[in-house]
Amino acid sequence: MNETFLRPEHGEADWYDARLPRPIRPHRGHPLRTLATVTLVVLLAAILGISSAYVIIEREEPLNAVTIGPWHAYPKAGTADADPYSVAIYTRGAVVPLASGEGLALVARKDSAGHLLDPTCVYRIAGQTPSARLWTLTAVDGHGKLVETLPGRVNLASDSLLRAPDGSFEIMAARRPHSGNWLPLAANAKASDGLRLVLRLYDAPVTTGAALDGVSMPAIERQGCP
Amino acid sequence: MTLSPRFSLTVGLLATLCLAAIIHILVVLSIPRNVQHSAYDNVATHGPDRQFNLLPDVQPGKEALPDLDPAMKHAACRFQLADGPVLFDASIPVPFWSIGLFNAAGEAVYSLNNRTAGAERLSMLVLTTEQLSILRENPPENLEDLIVIETETPISGFALLRAYVPHPMRSGTVDQALMAARCGGI
Repeated sequence: MNETFLRPEHGEADWYDARLPRPIRPHRGHPLRTLATVTLVVLLAAILGISSAYVIIEREEPLNAVTIGPWHAYPKAGTADADPYSVAIYTRGAVVPLASGEGLALVARKDSAGHLLDPTCVYRIAGQTPSARLWTLTAVDGHGKLVETLPGRVNLASDSLLRAPDGSFEIMAARRPHSGNWLPLAANAKASDGLRLVLRLYDAPVTTGAALDGVSMPAIERQGCP
Repeated sequence: MTLSPRFSLTVGLLATLCLAAIIHILVVLSIPRNVQHSAYDNVATHGPDRQFNLLPDVQPGKEALPDLDPAMKHAACRFQLADGPVLFDASIPVPFWSIGLFNAAGEAVYSLNNRTAGAERLSMLVLTTEQLSILRENPPENLEDLIVIETETPISGFALLRAYVPHPMRSGTVDQALMAARCGGI
């Protein structure tokens, strides 16, 4: 005689029988365990949700970027068509964007080889820009703030630039003075302060995103680091 | 019914991820409503409403508003269309100037520069559709020469006038032109 023969006919008789398959075994409530699980899930979700939002907003890189080499532009940011992330970034920083009828700002955080820009290095910025009536190139730190430099100026403008006969130009970005077009970088910056290059094209036909396809932007090459 | 430990773990993880996504979206959407200093508020610290206030030169550590171009001089004017139409009038003798109109949320509403303005002088009228129909009944003589910008609702906002300083020697002239710029009633 085996054991199954001894078991009663009705399932209710051995309701808590451990030999029942797991899914149909009755559930015994553990209120404390359930509460702990729900609390853990809510806490984990809150930490995950808030920190991921913080990281994305703090990076200050709106979505929908138009990328040309190392340069990024956000033509839609600061308009009514902006995505919620750029709205959050722009309102949190109280940034007044360059509107489409004024011009377009392009930001570089990395050089053409993909390395993060470092204010202690020397960079060569050379090539062409899209046609614009006027453009300025400004060096700011990793948070977009202006920095003290040796000569006091932090930018270069297109109307006072030395150019090759074909209209191309070569700019040296460095802390120490350079001959030719010199863009001064932060005088006493550490590598961790970060560096961004902002090229603002004023009255340019390329202020809409679609027109940015196929335009040439200057390349940023790292020449050397201390 | 009792779930297997692995199934419970999967359900727990899925619940955490879904809830995290909801919290993430709520946080991102709630930021614009909870900022302490919007650009609209910051502009008010530089002077009274309905007049152009010259912002201090953009220099390291002394930036009036974030992300301004140090090659430019700026003047800002805050306005509320509920108080009546706003007329912008300026004549700035520089190779490049531009004006951007922003609403209280900091979104660009309208913008132009000295080439698209079609004249050396900036004369622009901002008003609601309702105010324009009232104005049409008794139009001022120069209405045809103005750039008229209609908004559907009486918005609050500010205008930022940027003027390029080609050389530091011209800085005084640009300052004067920006201070003489008018922003106010007709």
